[in-house]
Amino acid sequence: MDSAGLPIFLFALIALAVPVGMIGLGALIGPHRATAVKRMPYESGMDPIHDARRRFDVRFHLMAIAFLVFDVELLFLYPWAVASRHPEGIDRILQVSQGLGERGWVLGGVLVFLALVAAGLVYEWRRGVLRWR
Amino acid sequence: MSLLLVPLVKIAIILFGVMTAAAYFVLLERRVAAWVQDRRGPNRVGIPGTNIRLFGLGQPLADGLKMILKEEYTPAHVDRGLYLLAPLVMMSAALAVFAVIPCGSTLPPIPALGLQEPIAMLVAPSFDVGMIYVFALSSIAVYGVILGGWASNSKYSFLGGLRSSAQLIAYELPLGLGLLGVVLATGSLRLDAIVAEQANTGVWFALSQPLGMLIFMISAFAEAARLPFDLPECEQELVGGYHTEYAGMKLVVFLTAEFIHMITASFLISILFLGGWHFWGLTGNAETPITWTLAAIRVGVLFAKVFAVIFFFMMVRWSWPRFRYDQLLALAWKVLLPLGLLNLVVLAILIEVQHPQVAGGWLDERFGAGRAVVSWLPGWLLLVLAFMLVAWLRPIMTDNRPRTDVDLLDSPLQE
Repeated sequence: MDSAGLPIFLFALIALAVPVGMIGLGALIGPHRATAVKRMPYESGMDPIHDARRRFDVRFHLMAIAFLVFDVELLFLYPWAVASRHPEGIDRILQVSQGLGERGWVLGGVLVFLALVAAGLVYEWRRGVLRWR
Repeated sequence: MSLLLVPLVKIAIILFGVMTAAAYFVLLERRVAAWVQDRRGPNRVGIPGTNIRLFGLGQPLADGLKMILKEEYTPAHVDRGLYLLAPLVMMSAALAVFAVIPCGSTLPPIPALGLQEPIAMLVAPSFDVGMIYVFALSSIAVYGVILGGWASNSKYSFLGGLRSSAQLIAYELPLGLGLLGVVLATGSLRLDAIVAEQANTGVWFALSQPLGMLIFMISAFAEAARLPFDLPECEQELVGGYHTEYAGMKLVVFLTAEFIHMITASFLISILFLGGWHFWGLTGNAETPITWTLAAIRVGVLFAKVFAVIFFFMMVRWSWPRFRYDQLLALAWKVLLPLGLLNLVVLAILIEVQHPQVAGGWLDERFGAGRAVVSWLPGWLLLVLAFMLVAWLRPIMTDNRPRTDVDLLDSPLQE
């Protein structure tokens, strides 16, 4: 097995075991005296009127979509950010393949990409996606 | 054998350390709160059966014991599977982040145990995408919140879950933008490489990228749901948000996970921007051969920084009023995100100019020893510019008066 992934996998397993153990311990040791009132949803002591599966504001949905777009766009920037300084990165590629141009072209491309992201943000802003009241 | 044993020992130490730290930081938080508000705080619980108080150091143990003895009940109306899954997801994601966070630099080899190489104080030393892993897990924490809020099937939980998921995803973007500047300057996603870069150049990224640090720090506060961004919990309006319906150990798991988020955020801020284990004239740089004394000093420096950041977190809690929800989202989308993009563009150009193949050699020739100052001055100018821009545009979170531009009767919320 890959030695980089193994410790992570182990850690994740043990990290899952910790809360399982904590909750299990609580369930074993703690008392169990459920009553009808205790099993009701909490609504400040009133009897609950509806269940909670109701319609909610569509803006949460808009926010989530906007987030997805920007998050994926940001992910595209990580490879560039790493390759920009790494010795095996952009410099090496430019060295191997003559005629691809200078480092400036790469930066220019990223700046154009960022300009597009910014344009998207301005568009969203102007369309009122980010307006909250 | 040592392939498995060494990580296991490290995992055991880190998990024990993190859980103990979380318990005792709760005590510290309460003592700091008491100190700020001019009262005593919990100072009674010491050794049971005696009168020795030990400044209340027994309080976390007593609290833990009390919570274990509380009833572990599940309300009748919940979605049982998801209800149980939510705290598990939240806690294991919060803990698993520590697999890539270095708790110091390296230890010298211990030949007696068959360890010939220096030992990295990091569970997964050869894992190259550390920061991506951190981000992935912090996104999973959002699932814990959403699942908790949805599965509880209670109105308070549902509203709290919605709110906090929108908050957590909104602040993830500026968090990533603040980080990108650091990655750009280092050329690596590994946290130990980022520290090594700062140690070798002697310039902490807080000095060369102050705006990036500010953005990252504000977003980290929001991601950890600390005041002034504690809308996921909001005891005042939503009686606890997404964990309203949780009790006993499940609640403890949620609360501990939130505290661990704060510790993680402090570690990340210290490592990414405050130089990690590096301190000028004290710890040497990444090439200095490691000894036990040096390793201990480095761990001490890192933990002093983490502790200072956590203390700052606690002081902020009692210093700022919290945001209204529209202000909170506007801060993420309309202030931090554009500023983060601006920061990234300026840093990209700045770092490109300093590249040896572009104008780095010329800069060295021209400025010599003053090169460091020249390279981080633009960052500070950018910070001033950002401050002036925000002051001039006066975004919505600078005005805490009731809004007059909204007619509530006109709002779609009024059915």
